[in-house]
Amino acid sequence: MPIEASPGGGTLRGESTLSTLEIKNLHAKIEDKEILRGVNLTINQGEVHAMMGVNGSGKSTLAYILMGHPAYEVTEGDILLDGESVLEMEPDERAHKGLFLAFQYPTAIPGVNVANFLRLSANAVQKARFQEANPDAEYKAPPVAEFRKRLVEKMGVLKMDRSFMARYLNEGFSGGEKKRMEILQMAMLEPKFAIMDETDSGLDIDALRIVAEGVNAQLGPGLGVLVITHYQRLLEYIKPQFVHVMINGRIVADGGPELAKELDVKGYDWVRAEFAPEEAPVAAETPALARASLGVKQSLTGRQ
Amino acid sequence: MDTTLTRPAEAPQMRGFSREAVEALSRAKGEPDWALEARLAAWEIYDNTPLPTQRDEAWRRTSLRALKLDDVRPFGATRGLARSLDEIPAAVRAGLEEGGEGGRDLRASFEASGTTPRAGLLLQHNSSVLYHTLNEDVAAQGVIFTGLDEAVRDHPELVQRYFMTGAVPPTHDKFAALHGAFWSGGTFIYVPRNCAVELPLQSRVYADADAPAVFAHTLIVAEEGAEVVFIDEFVSPTGEGQGFSDGAVEIYTGQGAQVRYFSVQDWGRHVYHFNTQRVVAERDSTTRSLSILLGSKLTKSNVESALDGPGATSEMLGIYFGDGTQHFDQHTLQDHLKPNTTSDLLFKGVLRDRARQVFAGLIRVEPGAQKTDAYQANRNLLLSDKARVDSMPKLEIGANDVRCTHGATMGQVDRDQLFYLSSRGLERSEAERLIVEGFLDEIIQRIPLEEVRDRLHAAIQQKMGLPAREGDEG
Ligand SMILES: Nc1ncnc2c1ncn2[C@@H]1O[C@H](COP(=O)(O)OP(=O)(O)O)[C@@H](O)[C@H]1O
Ligand SMILES: [Mg+2]
Repeated sequence: MPIEASPGGGTLRGESTLSTLEIKNLHAKIEDKEILRGVNLTINQGEVHAMMGVNGSGKSTLAYILMGHPAYEVTEGDILLDGESVLEMEPDERAHKGLFLAFQYPTAIPGVNVANFLRLSANAVQKARFQEANPDAEYKAPPVAEFRKRLVEKMGVLKMDRSFMARYLNEGFSGGEKKRMEILQMAMLEPKFAIMDETDSGLDIDALRIVAEGVNAQLGPGLGVLVITHYQRLLEYIKPQFVHVMINGRIVADGGPELAKELDVKGYDWVRAEFAPEEAPVAAETPALARASLGVKQSLTGRQ
Repeated sequence: MDTTLTRPAEAPQMRGFSREAVEALSRAKGEPDWALEARLAAWEIYDNTPLPTQRDEAWRRTSLRALKLDDVRPFGATRGLARSLDEIPAAVRAGLEEGGEGGRDLRASFEASGTTPRAGLLLQHNSSVLYHTLNEDVAAQGVIFTGLDEAVRDHPELVQRYFMTGAVPPTHDKFAALHGAFWSGGTFIYVPRNCAVELPLQSRVYADADAPAVFAHTLIVAEEGAEVVFIDEFVSPTGEGQGFSDGAVEIYTGQGAQVRYFSVQDWGRHVYHFNTQRVVAERDSTTRSLSILLGSKLTKSNVESALDGPGATSEMLGIYFGDGTQHFDQHTLQDHLKPNTTSDLLFKGVLRDRARQVFAGLIRVEPGAQKTDAYQANRNLLLSDKARVDSMPKLEIGANDVRCTHGATMGQVDRDQLFYLSSRGLERSEAERLIVEGFLDEIIQRIPLEEVRDRLHAAIQQKMGLPAREGDEG
C-alpha cells in the first residue's frame, strides 16, 4: 500500500540515535598535487563546528571531497557516516544519506528553472530516504501545492522574493542571491550534516544577517554543521561550539569559540608559529606540535 | 465520385527513378498536362545534374556512397480520401496516432479538439493524403487547407503561380529537381488577404517502415496581412531496408503577413532525408520557423529565408538531437535581398553516441540591402567523446551599412554543473537531462504551442534513454 510521504516523510532527523560524521586521516590530491595531508575531524549531529584557515589551505577541497567531487582523489584515510564509508558513494547518494554542501561558488545552470529544480531535488532526496526507511512501500511524492507551500515558507525566512522561482538556477544571481539559494536548498533537503563553504563571502552585513538567520532557524539536535570561513565575522552570527584551524591541508589547532576570537586578534601567523611551526614560511625554533587543543578538545572526541 | 477508401491499386513494382516512372506517376494521378509538363521539366534538370559527391563544397562532409537510388520505389499506390477518421484502416490510424520512435502517445494532437484545438488537420499515409478537415468558419473566409494533389485539380491557377516557381524551384539542386519530378501528397495552405487563422493548422505524414519514397511538399501562401500557424510533422517507425524521403517546403509571406511554421521530423532511423525549406518574405512581414530534427539515418537539409521586401523579418530556429550514428547536415541561408530587413537564426543541438552534425550557415547581403540586421548562432552540446560537430558560419556582404553577427560553440556537459546537480540528490542521468533541457530552453521557451513543447520534452527524454515521465512543473 502506498504510504503518503509528507514533507518530512523522508526525514532523517527524527531518528533516535545521533549520527556521526568522521573524517579519518584524510589525504587527497588533485592532478598529483597533494592538498589534504591527514585531516581528522568528528562532527556529531547537533554540533556546530567552524573550520578556519587562510586561502589555499585546503578548506574547499575538504568540502568537495566530503560531497564526492570526482576531480579529487583520496589517497589515504576515510570518511565515515555512522560508521559507513561514503568514499565509494556518488554525490547523489551522499545527498540521500544526509550530506549537504553549500558551495563557495554555486554553479549557474542556464535554462534550468529554480522551482522545477527544487522540486526534482527535494523529491529525489525524499524518495531515497523514504525507500531506505520503508523498503517495501511505494513512495508517493507530496502534491505540488504542498511543496509550494513549504518552499514559499522557507523563502520567507530568507527574505527571497517569489520571483526567484521563475528564474534560471543561479544564472545572473548576485553573490548574495546565490548564497541564499544555497541555504534555501539546505532548508528544503533537511540534511543531517551541512558543510557551508565560505557562505559569508561576498555578502554585505544585511545579507549576512539574513543568511545567518536562515541557518540558525535550521539548527537543532538533528543538524551538524561545518562552517568554513576565514573570518571571525560570520561566527558572531552562527555560533560554533568547536573551532578548527587548517594550515596546508592539516588541522593544526582545535578549540572553542575563543580560538576564533584569538585568531581574529593575533592573525594566522600566530597560529602557525604557535601550533604548526613546521608549516611556517619562516623557520621556527619551537618544537613541532602535531596538533594543539584549547580546552574543548575533550568534548570533541569524547563521543567517539 | 469515389470517396470511400478502396483497396489501393496494385502498388507499382518499379525501382529507381526514370522518365517513364514520372509519366506513370502522373498518369496514375490523372493529372492535367501542365502538371505532367512541370514534372518532366524537373526530371530533365535532375537527369542533367550529377549526383553530388564530397568534392562539392555543400556536400564535403556528407557522403551518399551508401545510398542506393536504384533501389528506391519512386511512388506507391494512390488512395482515395477518407470521409471521416473512422474510415482510416485501424493499422494506418494507429501509425498516425503513435508514429515515430518510442511509441509516444500523440492521440491528444490527433483528436482535433480537447486540449489542443486545431483549425484544421491533414493526415497523409506514405505518399497519399488520407484525410483533411478545416473548421467551417475558417473555410468560409476563403482559407484553403487541402492536399496538394487536390489543389492541382481544384486550384490550378494558385498552384501554377506558386508551386516550385519562386521559393524552391527545381533548379535549386539535384534533390529539389527530383522532388519536382516525383512530388506526391503534401499540404496546400492559402490564407487570403487580412485573414487571420487563429488556431493552428496541422499536418501529419506517417510512413510505413517499408514505405516507397515519400516526396512531401508543403506550400503555404499567406496573402497581404494574413496570419497563420502551421505544424508539419513527419514520422515513421524504423525499418530494415533503406528509406527515402525528399521534401520541399515553400512559404510565401505576403506584405505585412505573419506566418509561424513548425516542423518536426522524426523519421525511422533507416531513412535518407533530403529537404529544402525556403521562405519568401515580402515587405513588413514576419515569419518565424522552427525546425525540429530528431529522426532519419541521414538528413541533408536547407533552411532558407529570402528577405525580399523592406521591413521583412525572419526568425529561423532549429533544434536537433542526434543519437546512434545519425548524420545531420544542415545548411542555412539568410538571404537579404532588400534594405531594412532582419533575420535572427539560432540552431541548437545535442549529439550523443556517434552522432554527427554539420552546420553551414550563410548570411548573404545583396548590394543595396542596407540596414540589414542579421544574427546567426549555432550551439552544440556533446554528450559523448565520439559525437562530432562541424560548424561553419559564413558571411557574404555586399552592402556597407549592415549589422551581422554570427558565432558557433560546442562543448561537453559541464562537469561542475553535473556535480552541483548530483550533490542535490539527482541521479547522473537526471542531472544530464536537466542540463540538456536547460541548454535547449532558450528555444523551447520561444515555442507558444504547449503540444510542441511537450513533444520535445518527450523526445529529449527518449533520446537520453530515460523512461517517459509525468509533466514537470513550470
Ligand atoms: N582543481 C584544482 N587544480 C589544481 N589545484 C587545485 C585545484 N583546486 C584546489 N587546488 C589547490 O589546492 C589548494 C587548496 O585549495 P582550496 O581547497 O580551494 O583552499 P581554500 O578553500 O582553503 O582556499 C590550493 O593551493 C589550490 O591552488
Ligand atoms: Mg575555498
